[in-house]
Amino acid sequence: MRETDHSASSLLRQGPESIQRQLAQDGLHLDLGLVRLRIRSSEASVARQLFEVYRHYVPLQDPCWCDLQVSLIRAQGLRSWLRPQVRFFADGAMNFDAFPADHGLPLLEWGVNWLIGRRMNDVLLLHAGTLERDGRALVMPALPGSGKSTLTAALSLRGWRLLSDEFGAFDPQAGAFRAVLKPVALKNESIGVIRSFDPGAELGPSFDKTRKGTVAHLAPSPSSVARVHEGARPGMLVLPRWQAGSPTLFEPVPPTAAFTSLAFNAFNYAVLGAEGFQAVTALVRAMPAWRLVYSDLEDATSKLLGLWQQQAWRPWPPLRPQEPGLPALAELGTSA
Amino acid sequence: MTRDDGASMQLDWLQSLRDPAAVQGWSLAQWERVIRLARRLRLLGRLASVVQAPEVLMHVPPEAARHLRAELRYAAWRSGALAWALERLPAMLGDVPYPLVLLKGAAYMGQDLPIGRGRLPSDVDILVPREHLADAQARLQRAGWEETPLDAHDQRYYREWGHELPPMRHPLHGLELDLHHNILPPVARTHVDAALLLARLQPSRWPAWQVLCPVDQVLHSAAHLFHDSELRDRLRDLVDLDGLLRHFGAAPGFWDELAERALALGLQESLALALHFSARWLATPVPPALARSVAARGLPRWKAAWLLPLFEAVLWPTDPDRLPSRRQTLAANVLLVRHHLGRMPLTLLLPHLWHKMRTRPVSDPAMPAAGV
Repeated sequence: MRETDHSASSLLRQGPESIQRQLAQDGLHLDLGLVRLRIRSSEASVARQLFEVYRHYVPLQDPCWCDLQVSLIRAQGLRSWLRPQVRFFADGAMNFDAFPADHGLPLLEWGVNWLIGRRMNDVLLLHAGTLERDGRALVMPALPGSGKSTLTAALSLRGWRLLSDEFGAFDPQAGAFRAVLKPVALKNESIGVIRSFDPGAELGPSFDKTRKGTVAHLAPSPSSVARVHEGARPGMLVLPRWQAGSPTLFEPVPPTAAFTSLAFNAFNYAVLGAEGFQAVTALVRAMPAWRLVYSDLEDATSKLLGLWQQQAWRPWPPLRPQEPGLPALAELGTSA
Repeated sequence: MTRDDGASMQLDWLQSLRDPAAVQGWSLAQWERVIRLARRLRLLGRLASVVQAPEVLMHVPPEAARHLRAELRYAAWRSGALAWALERLPAMLGDVPYPLVLLKGAAYMGQDLPIGRGRLPSDVDILVPREHLADAQARLQRAGWEETPLDAHDQRYYREWGHELPPMRHPLHGLELDLHHNILPPVARTHVDAALLLARLQPSRWPAWQVLCPVDQVLHSAAHLFHDSELRDRLRDLVDLDGLLRHFGAAPGFWDELAERALALGLQESLALALHFSARWLATPVPPALARSVAARGLPRWKAAWLLPLFEAVLWPTDPDRLPSRRQTLAANVLLVRHHLGRMPLTLLLPHLWHKMRTRPVSDPAMPAAGV
């Protein structure tokens, strides 16, 4: 069952021309949950691509604050006549190599992820697919070959609320995971797998020959967009591994292995120092951890739901309001 | 993005680094703009460190405070990594019969200078006497520091014409290490006698490390900025200079000594430029008579007339929503040519540029390493 988009001002309703106009003027302002993003560009292809994969987002009108401000700009110079390219700018600095001019979306997605991973050190950023159900977070760390994006996409198409395909953004103050809601980036075979898993999946255009092969993006659902500011308390940790021909198997993971899977797959675990260690320790204590080996996505998602429903959730301190006033900078100290 | 023709007030916010109370009147829009600019200029951690006092912080909107806190953590982590490396390097080098000298950010940290707080260190810069450079390098390599792989030309460039070795990396350390034997290249038009620097070293907070004397630290900072090839977004170097001058300038005799030392080291032009921009843009309290005499010797009127506008155009921070103006790009190119001509004689420069043109490096950006 496809959710219907009830918002009259979503990008889907606005259409590519309106998006292009906003991109070219003050920018398109999107609320990703953890951050507000402003995108500017004069590329018509970028407007069409955003229209596809951010279709259910309702752009903010004249927000007084944005956390990330990026631009996609056509590269200048003689070479641009032979091979048109687009560049990613943040705050007037160009940090990354140019992409082919029609690959604006993958460059944007990748660049914004980079900025979040480097900058948002006010929360612990695990490298994980994160979904919500019953107010609890399912966290799947991005171990090599885990196929976390495929499983994240599949679960988001089976009633789980997508928080992020890339970040497990845990706010230790609030004791909750926060959404960093962006399209799920599917690579190579995963694209076809998700298409056959759910023929109605809202996939954007495929981009061939990127650094990670072919990439296509799954648009977040209307409800995940509408609930982007709802956090999720720690729920379950799942370490998935796709293995050809394997039946769906779950086996418990000891806390030490759970710890390393979180801490050493994080963007800023070390940056957070002692606070990072305490947060990961608390997460491992609170979240039951399972290894999942599977080959059949349908079977894996339904058995995972079964396992989820049998869990007796361990207590976690009640959620505090999301903006706990002014953060205490002083406690951090500045010198080594 | 339209081009930036410099009509905006990109420098006003710098006052907050000296006077944190200045942030009290900032609107949310001003905060947004300052955070973007300060971040690009690598000054966000500095800003965060000066506004972290509770009586200042209570005036910072939460949207902005969150970014300040996040960057302060990042800067603290990088500084910690630098201190960790500096505390372990002496043991890696072993008992050496020559001085080990910290430069730039490492030196600021080694003296607990106010400008070191919240400063984002780029790498570990250390200096040893040239005759012991090979020994220091061999010791570091035995301890696991590895040179960045370079082609034969670049190897030769560093070894014969450079004032430092190719950056070295260590699997346990997140920062690059630059081993210097001088503060400017030996073939440069301005030749600095490193023996003079080494004759006046001072202790740091770590017994194994020494630092340059205060006037030499200022002159190094000035030479480092005004002899570099890339001058865009280098406002942080001016902020460093301003901080050094304010900190050391309070000592009796400092300013006269600074002028004399610039003469002895042949760095009068760099000093004149540094004092000009630091006083003009950051209101550094430079004694006016001294500023005049340094300018008269280091930057005669005919030279100032063409150099100052060029440096001003390039150093001026571009608006975060605009591309550099054509004027800025042109000025940057003129200064780049001047830089190359000052750094190497043409007989070395032309083959070098030819080589660089053919082997333009392609960078391979990666996500901020998960797991680091």
